[in-house]
Amino acid sequence: MGLRNWRKYLNKVVLLVLILIAGILFELFTGPGEFTGEIMQLRILRVSLGIFAGGVLAFSGGILQGLFGNPLVEPYTLGSASGAALGASIGIVLLGYANPAFSFLGSLMVGFLVLTIARIESGLLRDRLILTGVVMSFLCSSLVMLIMIGGKRELYEIIYLLMGYLGIVFTPERRFIFLLISILSLFIMLYLYRFHREFDIISTGVETATSLGIDIQMFSIKVFILTTLLVSFIVSLVGAIGFVGLVIPHSSRMLFGPRHIKNLVGSFFLGSAFVLLADAMARNLVVYELPTGIITSLIGVPFFIYLYRFK
Amino acid sequence: MKWRFTIPILILSFLFCERSVPRQGFRVVSLSPAMTEVIFAIGGADYLVGVTTYCDYPDSAKKIYKVGDFSNPSVERILSLKPDLVIVNIPEQRRIKEQLEKYGIRTFSTSPKSIDDIYKDIINIGRILKKEEGADSLVEYMKANIRDLGRKKRKTYIEICAQPLITIGRYSYLNELIEMAGGENIFGDLEKDYPVINQEQVIMRNPDIIIVLHPEEIEGRLGWGRISAIKNKKVYKNLNQDWLMRPGPRLVLGFKELEKIFE
Amino acid sequence: MDAIEIINLYFSYNHKGVLYDINFNIKKGEFVGIIGPNGAGKSTILRIMAKILKNYEGRVNILGRDIRGIKQIDFARIVAFVPQETHFLYNYSVYDIISMGRYPYLSPFHRLKKDDIQAVDWAIEQTGLEGFKTRLINSISSGERQMAVIARALAQKPNILLLDEPTSHLDIKHQVRIMELLRALNQNGFTIVVVNHDLNLSSRYCDKLILLNQGKVYKIGTPAEVIKKDIIQDVYGIETLVIQHPGRKIPQVFFK
Repeated sequence: MGLRNWRKYLNKVVLLVLILIAGILFELFTGPGEFTGEIMQLRILRVSLGIFAGGVLAFSGGILQGLFGNPLVEPYTLGSASGAALGASIGIVLLGYANPAFSFLGSLMVGFLVLTIARIESGLLRDRLILTGVVMSFLCSSLVMLIMIGGKRELYEIIYLLMGYLGIVFTPERRFIFLLISILSLFIMLYLYRFHREFDIISTGVETATSLGIDIQMFSIKVFILTTLLVSFIVSLVGAIGFVGLVIPHSSRMLFGPRHIKNLVGSFFLGSAFVLLADAMARNLVVYELPTGIITSLIGVPFFIYLYRFK
Repeated sequence: MKWRFTIPILILSFLFCERSVPRQGFRVVSLSPAMTEVIFAIGGADYLVGVTTYCDYPDSAKKIYKVGDFSNPSVERILSLKPDLVIVNIPEQRRIKEQLEKYGIRTFSTSPKSIDDIYKDIINIGRILKKEEGADSLVEYMKANIRDLGRKKRKTYIEICAQPLITIGRYSYLNELIEMAGGENIFGDLEKDYPVINQEQVIMRNPDIIIVLHPEEIEGRLGWGRISAIKNKKVYKNLNQDWLMRPGPRLVLGFKELEKIFE
Repeated sequence: MDAIEIINLYFSYNHKGVLYDINFNIKKGEFVGIIGPNGAGKSTILRIMAKILKNYEGRVNILGRDIRGIKQIDFARIVAFVPQETHFLYNYSVYDIISMGRYPYLSPFHRLKKDDIQAVDWAIEQTGLEGFKTRLINSISSGERQMAVIARALAQKPNILLLDEPTSHLDIKHQVRIMELLRALNQNGFTIVVVNHDLNLSSRYCDKLILLNQGKVYKIGTPAEVIKKDIIQDVYGIETLVIQHPGRKIPQVFFK
């Protein structure tokens, strides 16, 4: 790389690191509590949650945009968010409160359904996955609305689940499960990262990819299952934080180029930083807590435009 | 000889007994479980021709024709009953109210933000149903039992939902109830009815008593260990939700439960 | 052994027949053109040879082996497919695109090794894209983009090149440039199979022509044997004038 390119590249990396640090600092040091041991413990958990959610969502978005060769695809396109919402609402009806296990199962089951239905006809699985996913999303959303309407009180739980919310309460068990999920997700992401070249090639065309030696059918299934798993983890913990999975990979692509070897890493860190910043805002703007997802959607656009100028 | 007095006594008792001339054929649909209970309590049950599936108290309410559930009752069913009055909750049933008014149906809106509002609703519905005396005695009964006990108020946190954390703010009648029973709602300064809060705020405000109005377990929450209420095990669950969440006659029972908590 | 053998090939799509009883051989080092009207099955048969379409009946041998028994990634080191160029979704650099051709040889986390870089450089040199390496793929012209796609195929270091209408949408400068490149490669030992619309271009450059019509092989032979007035009339349904090229001994088609 020429010297000028190196400088530009370094600038972008520095920018990314700065945004990330800003996000972490904001999350750690603002909020209604004072700096006692407990509060800091909760804040650190929240930061971890933000990094996990933002990073994994953006990473998944980048992966899916590569696999499907479609820049409008994002992690919820395949139905997992609506599936989680459906699972959660069923949980509320049966148990009286939103249990993350129900969200997780709902998300997985919808993913499984999408995969099964998409495989029925022969032909290109990859394309049918999107269509099936979108249709299932609509179906699940309608079912959730149905359940909400029949309910007695305003189902705040569902709204916060649909928008995404980082301020969940933790018990030692939850914290342990979060730890497990994070480690598992890390392994899954590293495994998927291995296929950065495949994503590059598939995004240039399915036929090209096949003729170069990639088994698109198997690959699509593998990626779909793993990504659904990742998204299910996130949505069952914090709900469906919007915008991150769609726009962050684009922003990362603008900053670091379309090659997935850099784009996926960039997406992860950019996504984390973005969610942390948005959450800091969600906590401090008004006296009561806003769902994080509202802020991500609101500041997402100016954030995107700001990065565009940095190009 | 006694017989000479029976007829005047009968006539007199007829005139003075607590039974106003019933409004013949006055048909009421109640979309509010609380108001259904109120109507039963003031003696107007005969006028009720339709209720929601959640109107389950007293037992005889369960036998009345159901027009649907709380959030989405069926306008068709309501109209088919040809009601003279429909009782609606605002803001939950605002759309139903608008639809009904388009059909020229008279509505009665209830949205109590304070205990006084509840009493006003009772008096008003009593007036409409010509059951003023029943309404008056109900209000008197409630006022007698729900009153400020003059206790030293203990800092209290009421949790309505765990995920996200929802509590009661100033604009919920529950806030008043708690205060009268001897609690100081730590979030009584928030100008909303059911605000969503950050757990850090709960920790900072350190309540002595926690009342949980949802079925989820709150044991063992990280960071909550040093809250006074948790340390001293003053966490109260399993309260009857219908007694507290319905602004009707059974609020008295709910209040009694609270009374015990704050002793 | 022959480079490609097609034996009793049948193919249908959505229960409609596309190819019927196709049989032909292509020898090593031949430059073959597959021609025929739209819908005749040209692209289909190319894609079957490229192991892109798989549910056919019959047998396809590459260098004597049934392609069904060869793993896709090994196959990619022998046969390279060149699609018609299009706009790319993500704006990779020309160098990136060409180096994707090395995929069949790479292991997941290793960077391009010396062999790989050499192969890519050679492909760039052959296609004359030296000055375009860092340009973004969507910012160059169609002709250059088609060259890039060919270069990607060359980077695979294949024995056989299959091209799907590489010139149909280009100006004559690029058409000639590409065909000349293919000729040069052919003289270097590559077996070339081109699906093409242009009868004159095919006649000029191909050793052998396979004329498909309605899913069947209509005629196989040298350009002189295949491009004849009555054959064109029968297959394409139009009247033409076929005369010999003034300089070379090949037929050229003129519209009446």
